[in-house]
Amino acid sequence: MIKKIGITGLIILVIASAFIFLSAAFTVHQTQQALILRFGEAIRIVTEPGLHFKLPIADDAVYIDKRILDLDSESQEVIASDQKRLVVDAYSRYKITDALKYYQSVQSSARANARLSQILNSAVRRVLGESTFEEIVRDKRPELMKRITEQVNNEAAALGMSIVDVRIRRADLPEANSQAVYMRMQTARTKEANDIRARGQEQAKIITSRSDKEAKIIIAEANKISEITRGEGDAGRNKIYAESYGQDPEFFKFYRSMVAYEESLKSGDTRLVISPDTDFFTYFKDPLGSNK
Amino acid sequence: MSWDNNNNNGPWGKGPSGGNFDNNDLDKLITNLKNSFGRFSPKSPNGKVSKKNWGLIILIALAIWGATGVYRVQPDEQGIVLRFGEYIRSTPDGLHYHLPFPIETVIKPKVTRENQVEVGVRTSSQAAIGRGTVGRDVPEESLMLTGDENIVDVDFSVQWVINDAADFLFNIENQESTVKAVAESAMREIVGGADLEQILTQGRERNESAVRDLMQKTLDEYGAGILIRRVQLQKVDPPAAVIDAFRDVQAARADQERLRNEAEAYSNRIIPAARGEAAQLIEAAEAYRNSVIADAEGQASRFNSIYEEYKKAPEVTRGRMYLETIERVYGGMDKIIIDQSGESSNVVPYLPLDQLQKKQDNGANQ
Repeated sequence: MIKKIGITGLIILVIASAFIFLSAAFTVHQTQQALILRFGEAIRIVTEPGLHFKLPIADDAVYIDKRILDLDSESQEVIASDQKRLVVDAYSRYKITDALKYYQSVQSSARANARLSQILNSAVRRVLGESTFEEIVRDKRPELMKRITEQVNNEAAALGMSIVDVRIRRADLPEANSQAVYMRMQTARTKEANDIRARGQEQAKIITSRSDKEAKIIIAEANKISEITRGEGDAGRNKIYAESYGQDPEFFKFYRSMVAYEESLKSGDTRLVISPDTDFFTYFKDPLGSNK
Repeated sequence: MSWDNNNNNGPWGKGPSGGNFDNNDLDKLITNLKNSFGRFSPKSPNGKVSKKNWGLIILIALAIWGATGVYRVQPDEQGIVLRFGEYIRSTPDGLHYHLPFPIETVIKPKVTRENQVEVGVRTSSQAAIGRGTVGRDVPEESLMLTGDENIVDVDFSVQWVINDAADFLFNIENQESTVKAVAESAMREIVGGADLEQILTQGRERNESAVRDLMQKTLDEYGAGILIRRVQLQKVDPPAAVIDAFRDVQAARADQERLRNEAEAYSNRIIPAARGEAAQLIEAAEAYRNSVIADAEGQASRFNSIYEEYKKAPEVTRGRMYLETIERVYGGMDKIIIDQSGESSNVVPYLPLDQLQKKQDNGANQ
């Protein structure tokens, strides 16, 4: 009987101590920190991971993430200082640095995200609203992101959070403006294409007309040489004739006339009506040639 | 309470792999054991045997509990051991032991696996197997503004590996979506800083490495434990709405080239032809010159020869030449000899020259 009571007591003792141990001990994961609340009042923060102890029942541990958390805000339309519109999608990476403040001001991560995305959106609008379109898209993007980070950070500090980074994920034109850009791109390309084709025609014309010119010059040069050569020939012929026929111009006339008669009065196409009074017929009627 | 909290809030969805049974299971186990003790003790005939049984049961239970600490790390994994949630060591691949749950747990991230994030396109698994990298386009991700206020359609993928498993697991939330967000942001920053022409043509490789560097820098700032292996631009095109206009520019370039080639061809045809013609002209002229001179020389030489003869006996030669020539001339033609001396001298006007001519023609035709 005593033994039984002893064993039962032992079991009860074991269960009771196990219960106390289990409610006193708590672990903090590597990615977490724990806020210890005693009857709802925060008394300490445990940032070291591992096994820790608290008062059973009276104390409560609230776990808060220690990692870099992400916040993706909805994309919003922003008007740049030069009145151009942009659809901006920014995201933020933040850390909970002051677990107590965080717990007191927002408590849950859903509420934290909601608050932070308000802060982020207004900071994005504010900072980008002061900049021109070119600055946002091209020239000052990293600086602007840094400035947004600083502004969000200032406000988030009051909520126990610190902003690691704010980055503009997308900064695009609204649909209507995109269409305008497409139109512009299209006309620019059409212009370029026409330009290129026109230049091609220009080059082709230059090449063909240049070669036409060259060809003409080549022919003209050849004509020149040809005329000179022919002139040389004519001159040479005249000189030769002059030298030769100059020996006796009268005889040349006679000789040449003879040749010409023979050449020009071909048989078959000429009919002669001759008077027998010519020299040829001197002896035709008179064997003595007394006519002469 | 606290155990539950720890487990259910674990950041990896599933519970740590060392402890597939959660606290409830543990409680049940303990209760079961206790029940067993209770059942055993009254039945045993004497206390000593009962104690032995108890010791044995506890020993076996402890042994089983202890054995749950054995774990295997696959070759592509790294073992990250947590003691009460605190990171204490990492182990390479192979068989290892950690203190049994709930004291220690192990997480085994795949550190050698190359992960891929795609932006602007979703390659469905079917497409990846069957038809290469044909995927669904996601224009809201791929269309971005360039520095000269144009829009370009960029699809790219990022290959990354876990560089530091502990950093990867413990420093950031939603690792995969972080990589993607950083990738999009970096690509837009780089594309926003360049002109359309640059992006479409020569800047490809430079942009890839610039995006890679910017991503790496950003992720290092987060302490993400991620190494960006590669950024690969898959498609860099003008947006679909204007791509025809861009293609037309290419076509225009080809046209330009073609026109120039045609002109060159024309030029190559016409100039040699002109040269040929020129040569022909010159040759003809030379032929004329040479032939004319030769001809003249021939005639002159003939005249000279005749003249030489003539000089010897001018009267006779002249007469002979005359008669011979007239002989030849008269010899081959129709002749009408009319004696004009006396009365017949007025006959000439009545001669039917036309008919004579006709007769001649008919004779020739027949």
